[in-house]
Amino acid sequence: MTTTSAETIIRPARARTAAAGATVRRRQGFQHGGWFVAPFLALFALFVIWPLLRGLYLSFTDANISGDGASFVGLDNYREALQDPLMWDAFGHSAYFTLLVVPCITVLAFLLAMLAHHIERGKWLWRLCFFMPFLLPSTVAANLWQWLFNPGTGMVNHVFGLDTPWLTDKSYALLAVVITTLWWTVGFSFLLYLAALQGIPAHLYEAAKLDGANAWHRTLHITLPMLRNITGLVVALQILASLQVFDQAVVMQDFGPGPEESTRTFVQYTLEQGFTSYRVGYASAISIIFFVLIAAVALARMWLLRNREEGGR
Amino acid sequence: MGRPDLNRRHFLAAAGALTVAGSFGFAALGTGADALASDADTRVRYWNLFSGGDGYNMIAMLDAFRKDHPGIDVKDSTLQWGSPFYTKLAMAAAGNRAPDLGVMHLGRVTGFSPGRLLDPWDVGLLAKYGVKEADFNPELWRRAVIDGKLYALPLDIHVQLCFYRKDVLKKAGLLGDDGRMVPVTSVDEWFDVLKEARKATAKGLQTIGFWHNDQNFQWWFFVAFYTQLGGTWFDDANTEVTFDTDKAVRVLEFLRRHVADGYANPGYGGGAGAEQFVNGAPFAWEGNWSVPVFSGAELDYGATPLPPVFGRPATHAESHSFVLPHQANRGGAANEAAHRLAAYVVQHARQWAAGGHIPAYTPTLSTAAYRELRPQNEYAGAMDHQATEPKVWFAGSTGILAQRVGPVVVSSTTGSAKPEAAARRMKGVLTDLLGTKNPMDGRTAAQGGAAA
Repeated sequence: MTTTSAETIIRPARARTAAAGATVRRRQGFQHGGWFVAPFLALFALFVIWPLLRGLYLSFTDANISGDGASFVGLDNYREALQDPLMWDAFGHSAYFTLLVVPCITVLAFLLAMLAHHIERGKWLWRLCFFMPFLLPSTVAANLWQWLFNPGTGMVNHVFGLDTPWLTDKSYALLAVVITTLWWTVGFSFLLYLAALQGIPAHLYEAAKLDGANAWHRTLHITLPMLRNITGLVVALQILASLQVFDQAVVMQDFGPGPEESTRTFVQYTLEQGFTSYRVGYASAISIIFFVLIAAVALARMWLLRNREEGGR
Repeated sequence: MGRPDLNRRHFLAAAGALTVAGSFGFAALGTGADALASDADTRVRYWNLFSGGDGYNMIAMLDAFRKDHPGIDVKDSTLQWGSPFYTKLAMAAAGNRAPDLGVMHLGRVTGFSPGRLLDPWDVGLLAKYGVKEADFNPELWRRAVIDGKLYALPLDIHVQLCFYRKDVLKKAGLLGDDGRMVPVTSVDEWFDVLKEARKATAKGLQTIGFWHNDQNFQWWFFVAFYTQLGGTWFDDANTEVTFDTDKAVRVLEFLRRHVADGYANPGYGGGAGAEQFVNGAPFAWEGNWSVPVFSGAELDYGATPLPPVFGRPATHAESHSFVLPHQANRGGAANEAAHRLAAYVVQHARQWAAGGHIPAYTPTLSTAAYRELRPQNEYAGAMDHQATEPKVWFAGSTGILAQRVGPVVVSSTTGSAKPEAAARRMKGVLTDLLGTKNPMDGRTAAQGGAAA
């Protein structure tokens, strides 16, 4: 099903010069389909393409928030940004957050999915429990954990008998954001894993069982390899989402940068430059740098994965 | 199969139609609410940043104004405090959709491009409605004047206070015969007071909550004590940094000692300090806006300006003030009504004072009604001992200066940086900022960002 539809899309493009008939057919196709896609394209152009181009232009100016009196400054903004220790600090926080969240969430989602998949009774309850936090808005999740992390009355310190200043000490503040994020978003990856688990043909396990493989071996040699694609997807999505961490961090720190600026993320720094310091041009340059960095990470991951796939063949 | 399916579709279609109709209905309602009140002929659109108890008091004052002036319809909008408010105000002014009247922190006015994003007040018009320069603290008025024009009309000053629990202090023998905290005039005296107070404090409570890890509060406290030492920031021309690192070190060491000697528990920074105070901790350094909170909790407490431990009394003060956001065609009835409303609220700030703020309109301070307010009457003298940030474009409440220097103060107070290193870093930041151009007009502080 997927292959055929993919072919029909790709083939006419390749055959453009070869067959005139194909071109006509394609154009007719656009006349019909184009109208369906037009509303989306219009909005996409208005809210994605245009701001992107405008941001790129602004990044070469010293534009301020009032919108007038901007002049062209060439690469000055980029030069300043690359030497801006605060920007690199903020990038460091986002990167560190990503480094902590991605492996944890992947492993946790897998374990929870295994649990929910293999449990016999009340499967729906487990599914619901694991997935439900994901339905909360980020502000609610962050506020909730703000309470849980309260040093005096919070549940976390109470239950574990700790005296940890979670939100007020720079060594814990970002960790608190990580924990909140894990609880809040693991449900999404959990659901992806669960769906994938249910898609593994049962006969593979039966065959393995007949061959005398125990549960551990079946997990190791059937489940894990069969989940490789979905793991790739989970990791990719989590990396992109984690690098853009913003809302839960600012809400948990009451819209500040956290104790000794330890939770200021890259997105937050961009926002501060643009909307607190009113340096729209500089903020645009930072966003472009961030865009390039994220794109680099995504491309690097793709490249690594492709190598692995080719190596496997 | 067909029939139930059809029903479901009907249901969906009906639900969809209802949703669309409903949203139009709400939109219509919104427009309706925007229209003028029936018998009013002028409308003043007024943006403020007051929520909580302040918001309640402001609304009460507006209602009183509406009652006295039926011809003027006041449309007030309350927006989120802090940076988002200033961003919205700036963008509205830039897009020529500014409200007729706004509120700002006085310290932010210099950096808010007065003349471009803000319009000056018509002093004659204000006088017509009963407000004149002589009714204000001269220092406060001077801060509101830029390039010889008045850009801000101060409503209040709000100051940092030392709140104390009378019940605990009495037990510790730290309460004078007048029922107020014993006077403190040196660092040693202050720590002696804390030492005695700690002995009388219940288990599980810290001695003082002072926002040790909050960049705004720590910066405000720093400004207060640095001013007590007579420290300065820049020379008059704003070309040179005159920041005195030796004095800064003394202040930073003083702040640090509260945590190092265990009077402030690192776990109870932030709002937890106020919670602890309510629960029986003897001291909390907070803004005067905490007065309604503590009074509401029916505590037996008092509040003085931050103790003059370095000799000269001074406590950090900011000011809520009315501004006229820039409108291309400012003037006419709405503009006059804005002047009238601001003048009215400034003169009727008795209610405002209940929220803890010190009214900027000095005749109010000497009224019997104000003198009866407690603990307000204990700290009203702070009007004459204001410690403020320098008058430069990057200063002011939650402004760039606070955002850059605040974390440095915190790093010293929490102990992750040595006071000497922190003081040097502060000087570095100040030097850095002095050379930075104001993004709004491309000028540095020396080039006129702070023309007085």
